Amino acid sequence: MSTWLSMAPLLLLLVSALFIMIVDAFANEKAELALVTSVALGTAGLVALGLLVSGQPLPPLPEMFSGYLAVDSVSLFFDFVICTGGALSVLLAGGYLREHGLERGELYVLMILSSIGAMILARSTDFLSLFLGLETMSLGVYAMIAFRRTSARAVEGAMKYFLLGSFAAAILLFGGALLYAATGHTDFVGIGQAIAEGADARLVLVGALMVIVGLVFKVGGVPFHMWTPDAYEGAMTPVTAFMSVAVKAAAFAVFVRIVMIAFGSEDMMSAASGWPPILAFLALLSMVFGNVAAVAQKSVKRMLAYSSIAHAGYLLVGLAAASKVGEQAISGVLFYLLAYTVSNVLAFGSLIWIGSKGREAVDYDDLAGVGRRHPMVALPFIVGVLSLMGFPPTAGFFGKYYVFNAAVQAGGGFVWLAVFGILASAIGAYYYLRVVVVMLMKEPTKDQVLAVPMKSGYVSAALAISGAAVMVFGMLPGWVLDLAIDAAQKLLG
Amino acid sequence: MSAFLSENLLTLLLVVPFLGALTLLFMPRQWPNAIRRTSMAFLGLNFLFSLLLLPEVVELTQSVLSRFEGVQSLAAADYAQAGYHFVVDVPWIETVGIAFKLGVDGISLWLVLLTTLLTPIALYASWSSVHTKVKEYAIAFLLLQVGMLGAFFALDLFLFYVFWELMLVPMYLIVGIWGGPNRVYAAVKFFLYTMVGSLLMLIAILYVVGQYETLTGRYTFDLVLLQDVILPFDAQLLLFGAFALAFAIKVPMFPFHTWLPDAHVQAPTGGSIILAAVLLKLGTYGFLRFAMPMFPLASQYVGPTIAVLGIVGIVYGAYCAWVQKDVKKLVAYSSVSHMGFIALGMFAMTPHGINGAILQMINHGISTGALFILVGVIYERRHTRDLDEFGGLAKVMPWYTIAFVIVAMSSIGLPGTNGFVGEFMIMSGAWTSQGFIGLGQWSTIFTMVAATGVILAALYMLHAVLKMFWGPLTKKENEGLSDMNGREWAAVAPLLVLVFWIGFFPNTFLEKSEDAVVQFIGDFRAKWDESSSDDALRLWHPDRHADPNAPEAAEEAPAEEAAEAPTPADADREAAIPTLTNEALAMRLGGAR
Repeated sequence: MSTWLSMAPLLLLLVSALFIMIVDAFANEKAELALVTSVALGTAGLVALGLLVSGQPLPPLPEMFSGYLAVDSVSLFFDFVICTGGALSVLLAGGYLREHGLERGELYVLMILSSIGAMILARSTDFLSLFLGLETMSLGVYAMIAFRRTSARAVEGAMKYFLLGSFAAAILLFGGALLYAATGHTDFVGIGQAIAEGADARLVLVGALMVIVGLVFKVGGVPFHMWTPDAYEGAMTPVTAFMSVAVKAAAFAVFVRIVMIAFGSEDMMSAASGWPPILAFLALLSMVFGNVAAVAQKSVKRMLAYSSIAHAGYLLVGLAAASKVGEQAISGVLFYLLAYTVSNVLAFGSLIWIGSKGREAVDYDDLAGVGRRHPMVALPFIVGVLSLMGFPPTAGFFGKYYVFNAAVQAGGGFVWLAVFGILASAIGAYYYLRVVVVMLMKEPTKDQVLAVPMKSGYVSAALAISGAAVMVFGMLPGWVLDLAIDAAQKLLG
Repeated sequence: MSAFLSENLLTLLLVVPFLGALTLLFMPRQWPNAIRRTSMAFLGLNFLFSLLLLPEVVELTQSVLSRFEGVQSLAAADYAQAGYHFVVDVPWIETVGIAFKLGVDGISLWLVLLTTLLTPIALYASWSSVHTKVKEYAIAFLLLQVGMLGAFFALDLFLFYVFWELMLVPMYLIVGIWGGPNRVYAAVKFFLYTMVGSLLMLIAILYVVGQYETLTGRYTFDLVLLQDVILPFDAQLLLFGAFALAFAIKVPMFPFHTWLPDAHVQAPTGGSIILAAVLLKLGTYGFLRFAMPMFPLASQYVGPTIAVLGIVGIVYGAYCAWVQKDVKKLVAYSSVSHMGFIALGMFAMTPHGINGAILQMINHGISTGALFILVGVIYERRHTRDLDEFGGLAKVMPWYTIAFVIVAMSSIGLPGTNGFVGEFMIMSGAWTSQGFIGLGQWSTIFTMVAATGVILAALYMLHAVLKMFWGPLTKKENEGLSDMNGREWAAVAPLLVLVFWIGFFPNTFLEKSEDAVVQFIGDFRAKWDESSSDDALRLWHPDRHADPNAPEAAEEAPAEEAAEAPTPADADREAAIPTLTNEALAMRLGGAR
């Protein structure tokens, strides 16, 4: 039994997914499925955190799995991030679905299954398990986007994401196949060793490029971001929150593993013949484009979608810098993802909270004067956007700080990358600030339908938890950073 | 108890307004007067606590306390001693070497007191003009004070950055929520300008920290330690540029000043007072505390250029002020002009110049703060600030006229008022700043051009006084205006007292800062000398940087830090300033590049 210890969060979720599926078939509409689901996800996250904090060496998995799934602190860290994001999104969904009359239990099951996929993806060490995790996660997300099936936008977003996502997955798989052809391995360690020993460089480079394209698609980086705004806008807001946190975190987790282990040879890490310049360039594009496009949006949800592209760009800066200062950069990326998770849940959650049935808040105009009418509703949103902006002393500030710090310490061109990133994030300040401006300093026009905040214990709980987390990670980031550094150290050995 | 107090005085000064903000948060908004009184009580308490920074006040309390048995005496700071006083040093994020390190010295002392004095005055002055959301307004002021004081205290670069950014949000909200008709534009402009500048500063901070890490193998953001990093000239230039941009925007120096008139005109009275009196000083303070000591080669190289920008600001700001019809905008542009003097004084690099610059920071805070209060007084009565709408006010508001004229004279720099002392010191400092470190051969011309700023100040100020107060009472609306009431007097009176106090007894203020300034110049020259001798990355005084965590050095490290700046008598210190000829210095610098 103890050999399964490191898988405990996953197993816990599997059992609860089955349990909820059965309960949903028999229970009536008033059953608090959201509560059960969020408790399951939250417990799994806390178990992962407990294992991480205890710092004890984990027993290896049975041989059947050992080559496919990692047993390390990084996977536990991502378990924690994904489960936190999942649990908070479920809480938001609990309030949202009931308010808008969409209450159906399938969403919760899909969210758990999707989280399981994300966790498998985050701990995969082989292209086979990677693909398995990726598809488990993505199929759940496609279904969740289309959950509001009467809405044309939702179906459009789901179709777009599904078609493009399948295409990207195929490219990723093809890249994996090429790497297999070049090296004879599907596991990251084997690929890394074979490349270091001199595999066919042409096949390796083409394969690596295709893998990177597939992964950049999943994290929503420019120029493979086209699906992001439509899918984010079409999906119900809790699902958008889930996509922007759990899916992104899992994709970055496997991204870290691939670039550091499979492509960790000296040649592949060099600026002349490897991936760092590619990632740096994509990071620059994502930061600039994401921020500039977000300025032009009228819908807050779409603005947050574009800003998530920009955040993918900041994270890619960290990933690119990992070629020089591995431990620092990767711990920065880990911390950033956790900070981004709680901040983004806070922002999306506040957007949900401000609206109620028939009066959902989507555009900036809907937010006009909310701060005057309902100050306590505006407060979490303000904290959330300040954190996304990277304002001290919030979690988002330290996330940005650690990532850009890694880039500055990496030296050379990375310093300039950090400078451009910082300037791009100053553009970000403009549109995040607009949320504050509209809520506190604008009055709604006379014939406008006013958004009325909903009353929901679930949403309030999610906002309280994520708001507290944003402030705690902002004031006392040391212990989380220590965990992240420790995990990064163990990953890089 | 008292040892605890003097060890934690600076923390206390940050905690009191923060507690005040928390208290207000839980007060019902239906009690605006209770909210006002509570906020004033907390700010007043904090002002009293901040007085304990002065040794004279400590002695006074000691003489009172000594009558009670069992009460220990408080520790008094001796500002003639070099280094920082009331130092608080608590690790915050140990992994990356970030500490909660605070301290004051002669340079920051008066700025701190200015902050604690003017925040309550600003809040008090806007009692009658702010009626909506009184609670949020008071909370914003209390938090603003936390940010400002923290930025003046911080000796850890990271902490400084955090406080620097923290100030931004309350000020942004004060302008954006309680401001004039075009407030949103002004608030966003203010926020973005400041943020862009400070973000680049963050990158520069990280770079210096990284260089320190490569030299010693550990991370720290401690200013005292980072000051010893000697960087190559090219790196210094870029890093100084990043710091200088952040500070120049805040000051604001000539090409970066455009946010200021907007923010000032749109801000409510209280916001304008704090903005002019304290926030702008953080820019000049930042130069003195961070940019100049950390990058001496670059500041020597760029210094004359910045001084020229300051002079352009002096003249340009004065001309702009002259043509304004809006009194508040006139005062705002006069700020640009006055802040130019401070920049000139700082980069003159003479004891007189820097001392004058520090004094002028206080003077500008007092005079401009008072001017904004007085402009607020008339605006509340007439709801206009247009100069053409007034005329002959001296007949209906004689006391107001007296107060305004006194403050206007102090702003012009009439002998006997504070403005004269500051500007005179700056100009005499700039005139004598002919050395290679300083303004060089152009110093006399610089000073002469700057001196026209004083004449121009008389021009625009007297023009405003003439238009507002003298002549016949032409407008009917002005006839029934009431003179200043008790609350308005209470807000202005302390500032009027200070105008004359500094004007007649400037030594009260100068004696606290002059030792720190001599020390500052000595350190600057010594580090400049060291940097210019070799253009390589290295540590100055490597012996100071032994790892405090290393077992054998554990005991010694704090002692070394304390003894870091040896304090010979003033005469020795003056003599210790290297007296190289300009040619020799130029040769060295040439070699360094």
